[in-house]
Amino acid sequence: MIQVENLQHTFLIGKRGKEKQVPVLKGVNFEVHKGEIVAIVGKSGSGKSTLLQILAGFMKAEKGSILVNGKETANLNETESAAFRLRQFGFIFQNFQLMPGLSAFENIELPLKLQGLRKAIRQEKVKKLMDKVGLTEVADHYPNELSGGQQQRVSIARALITNPPILLADEPTGSLDSETEQDILLLIQSLNRELGLTFVMITHDEEVATIAHRRFRMYDGELVKEEA
Amino acid sequence: MLFKDQVDFVTQHIKKNKLRVFMTILAATMGCAFLIVLASVGFGLQESLRNEILSNETVTKIQVYGDTTQLTEDQIQEIKKIEHVETVLETINVNAAAHSFFEDRDTHSNVTLTDMQDFEQVNGKLAEGVYPSKPNEIIVGYHFAQTLLNEEERNVMAEKSKKAEAEGTYYDGREEGYKESLVGQKIDLSLATHDAPNNETEKMTYTIVGIMEKPSYDWMIDSSIHMDKAQKAALAQSLALPEDELFYSEFNIFADTMENVKPILETLKDKGYSVYSVTEQLEQMNVFFLVLKIGLIFVGTIAVLIASIGIFNTMTMAVTERTREIGVLKAIGASPKLIKRLFLMESTFIGILGTLIAVIISYAISITANLALPLILKAATGEDVFATNDITFSLIPWQLVVIAAAISIGVAMISGYRPARKATKIDVIQALRQEL
Repeated sequence: MIQVENLQHTFLIGKRGKEKQVPVLKGVNFEVHKGEIVAIVGKSGSGKSTLLQILAGFMKAEKGSILVNGKETANLNETESAAFRLRQFGFIFQNFQLMPGLSAFENIELPLKLQGLRKAIRQEKVKKLMDKVGLTEVADHYPNELSGGQQQRVSIARALITNPPILLADEPTGSLDSETEQDILLLIQSLNRELGLTFVMITHDEEVATIAHRRFRMYDGELVKEEA
Repeated sequence: MLFKDQVDFVTQHIKKNKLRVFMTILAATMGCAFLIVLASVGFGLQESLRNEILSNETVTKIQVYGDTTQLTEDQIQEIKKIEHVETVLETINVNAAAHSFFEDRDTHSNVTLTDMQDFEQVNGKLAEGVYPSKPNEIIVGYHFAQTLLNEEERNVMAEKSKKAEAEGTYYDGREEGYKESLVGQKIDLSLATHDAPNNETEKMTYTIVGIMEKPSYDWMIDSSIHMDKAQKAALAQSLALPEDELFYSEFNIFADTMENVKPILETLKDKGYSVYSVTEQLEQMNVFFLVLKIGLIFVGTIAVLIASIGIFNTMTMAVTERTREIGVLKAIGASPKLIKRLFLMESTFIGILGTLIAVIISYAISITANLALPLILKAATGEDVFATNDITFSLIPWQLVVIAAAISIGVAMISGYRPARKATKIDVIQALRQEL
């Protein structure tokens, strides 16, 4: 489903003219199969976030190839990349990244608006999904009226609403207490089981990574496979 | 994203920053209204002068003057052959005054002779009746009946005139004269040369078959008599004078439409005729006013540009404030084009709303100025001239609205363009790192 080959990237750090080259990805190779949960663990600064951002198309890698469902995405321009994201990926962020001016319902509806769907169709889809992830009660609530767990549920629902085949999660439980963390991890597992969704998750939390079918460890720009 | 959803998105953000957007719209309104009102003065003055020039002239008329005034039959035929020439009208002025008698009334007036078919073609509609078709039929000016007075009325009018003079005004005699319709009535007419006014000829009887339209100026009294040029011989005979002493011809060429006057003028000038049309005067005036209006619009545009700084600031703030939201939108799949469009729509909305309000305000100011300024000027100068003459101080034609709207909305869009572009350049990673 995802095939990454020899992905390399270097950051330039420092004042202009005196920049220092810092290699963050030193030829990363890995594969993600359909319907599995893959965790990429690593310490801060190991390059795992950069890997996810390149995978998502937020930035371009210097070298290497990324095949998603057979399509090369490493060289897409901004517009193509945005269109590709809208169809293929759902995003779950550490700090939820909900729109503060929109209700839970409207936040979940947003990707459908970007897809240009009509209101009636959007509302039906959102209602169904909210019911499924247990958010019906808080549909009209704004993000600041929701708990951390509820906000992450809204964020997950927003990622799921377009039925993307792949979900990319950046520290999905990083801002949650341990009890809520368990809830969210169970939700991810059940979505994986019931809908056959593929998850690529980066985390520094070893315990979170235990739900993954396969685990990779990022260490100083290199990715090493570990036994799950 | 559907257009309706884009509009919803924009209005939602505008609602969130009501005061800031309101102030920006206010600035755009003031700039645009200033532009329209300023330029409307140019349009108004031009209209006033244009009306002044056209009110007493037929726009399709080309006058012949100088050495070539007396055209020969060959020349007339030559001119008639020029494309778009409708007719060449020969007006024969009679060098004598006509004394008309009807019942116990009488009046003095001028007589002109024309080919009645040509005259009908050029003059068009009559106020009443028809054009003469028989030798002894005539048409008379609109005020002919009013000037037909008897002794008693002459005394009344003299008194009224004296009274009016004492008050510093003028009495035109509109309350006296023959009140019934003159169409179908027979009048007796005798002529006398200007050199010997008392030496009147024998009376000839004519039937009035038509009354001319009212002259365009209110103060003009038209009591003239028009008859067919076939009467030339009869008139010359009754005065016992040679025709070349008694008659003087004036030739006017008429084009079919105003637009065709210019090419006809050029052709005639090439052929060596001295010709003139009121449209030439209009043309010179139009050039002058075009320059004036461009100048006024330019000055007005400066005000719009100043307002655009406000739009630029508002949009830049909007983009800065929404950096994280833009980042999220981009992350979940919004294209840079869509982001740019959303912000351009917001600045365009400010421009459109500002222009709409400005147009309404400008019309209100224009109407008020046209009503109030004559009164203010009358009060200030003590002269009635501004109140009675139809001077347009401010005129807003649709062309001005279109120009002002294009400038204002265009400037609003341009000022929103840079912030909108900035929004598309926002780095998703940086934006997502921003705190709420």
